[in-house]
Amino acid sequence: MYANTHSPASNRGRIIRRTRSSYLIRSGNDCIEGTLSTRLKNESGSNPVVVGDMVVWNEAAQITEVLPRHNWLSRRSAVPMPSSYAQEQVLVANVDQVVPVLAAANPRPAWNLLDRFLVSAEASDIPALIVLTKLDLVAGRHLQEIEAIAEEYRAIGYAVVLTSTATGRGLDELKVCLQGRLSALLGKSGVGKTSLLNAIEPGLGQRVQATSKATGKGRHTTTTTEIFALALGGALVDTPGMREFGLWDVDGRDLAWFFPEMRPFLGRCKFGASCRHDEEPGCTIRKAVVEGLISPYRYQSYLKLRAEA
Amino acid sequence: MTTRFATRRIYTRPGKINNASGDFVCDCCGTFVSVHVALSGVGNRNHCPYCLASRHMDQFEPGDRLSACKAPMHPIGLTFKRTAKKYRGHQPGELMLVHQCEGCGKVSINRIAADDDIEAILSVLEQSADLDRDTRALLERERVMLLDTDQHDLVRHCLLGIHFADAWQE
Ligand SMILES: Nc1nc2c(ncn2[C@@H]2O[C@H](COP(=O)(O)OP(=O)(O)OP(=O)(O)O)[C@@H](O)[C@H]2O)c(=O)[nH]1
Ligand SMILES: [Mg+2]
Ligand SMILES: [Zn+2]
Ligand SMILES: [Zn+2]
Ligand SMILES: [Zn+2]
Repeated sequence: MYANTHSPASNRGRIIRRTRSSYLIRSGNDCIEGTLSTRLKNESGSNPVVVGDMVVWNEAAQITEVLPRHNWLSRRSAVPMPSSYAQEQVLVANVDQVVPVLAAANPRPAWNLLDRFLVSAEASDIPALIVLTKLDLVAGRHLQEIEAIAEEYRAIGYAVVLTSTATGRGLDELKVCLQGRLSALLGKSGVGKTSLLNAIEPGLGQRVQATSKATGKGRHTTTTTEIFALALGGALVDTPGMREFGLWDVDGRDLAWFFPEMRPFLGRCKFGASCRHDEEPGCTIRKAVVEGLISPYRYQSYLKLRAEA
Repeated sequence: MTTRFATRRIYTRPGKINNASGDFVCDCCGTFVSVHVALSGVGNRNHCPYCLASRHMDQFEPGDRLSACKAPMHPIGLTFKRTAKKYRGHQPGELMLVHQCEGCGKVSINRIAADDDIEAILSVLEQSADLDRDTRALLERERVMLLDTDQHDLVRHCLLGIHFADAWQE
């Protein structure tokens, strides 16, 4: 259970936001602004301290220690130059669930991106909750299609909540799923992550911005990752919109395992564990797709990710 | 057949469907096949221009690459594309190849490319006379009307039209 007010154990707390030069640490009801100790600065890689980390600081408000992470969610960092190596970018640590957010429209749902988030959550052993927003913007067969796809993800075993901050649809259901947990909102810019936060915690009034009329794309309004405590218990991590989400440290041979609906078929292919489930004869995954037991779109996501891994 | 995961995504499909299928080596005759539009005259080459074999890669529409079957598909006959008669009077539609999947039996109708081998197409027409009863019944259910072998001249005429048009484009 995520506690918003833990007894302030002297000099321990959770990172709730990172600014350019410092970290905001929450400890009990207090907030402390801390910096990295020289030792942490020198010895750690690119992500010494991230939002969600539990840390210890000294008298000079320098973070001296990061407590072991229960879990963390990473992506392949967008490489600034073609020549530089791809790096791990840790987005958030110690969360209870990952919440991929997709808009029903404006921008249109990126199902492949959803599958990336889900695979990454599976690989990090973090439960996922799928939230669709802006349901007020679709009707008729568009709405039916969204509902049918939501049903397919539910059949895989994921919780899916259909919401609209414009009509209030699904917000009560969502609150139940968020209560008492630390949940990280993830998604493209403009899907309505911050709007959800504002709707669930009125009074926060975090900045939101309309998507482009021409392209439906968001305008990258939120620029920092930050934890917001919820009055109903628990907290939400609002994150900047993500255009890409490259898997980090997921072995191609393990990939199918991170598609839960594929698990029952694994190990039964003609070529056993070495089957890539692509062109091989006697592949039980392909057979399951042909038989309608696995979504062809999910299988296509699998092949795309497999080609990258 | 279970169809639990059968939702076709039309409205939520990103922009264009993915037609960027690369050049391939034909599994059937081993020829290297380029999918370049300038050579085939079609935006989505899906069969070998020499032996006309294909693979079951598409599920809902050409180029979606959503089929997991991937088995070889062979031409079993020719048909005319159904067109809205209202607009086209009695003119027949475009001449099309009918393929059937060796793996799952699925039938699909495909455009003929400008560089498809004429003799191969004509021999498909001839061999279609020998189709078995089951396949004929399937075609009927799918409302695919195969051309008769006595329509040889009409087919030749259509094919020369295709190749002629291509020559003019160059
Ligand atoms: N019609 C409708 N519009 C919504 C809904 N939710 C959010 N919006 C609008 O969508 C736009 C983008 O919302 P934001 O909350 O800023 O999106 P975001 O995901 O936080 O975007 P970034 O911070 O850029 O990553 C705003 O104009 C919102 O008013 C909804 O349920 N219905
Ligand atoms: Mg935002
Ligand atoms: Zn396999
Ligand atoms: Zn061939
Ligand atoms: Zn097939």
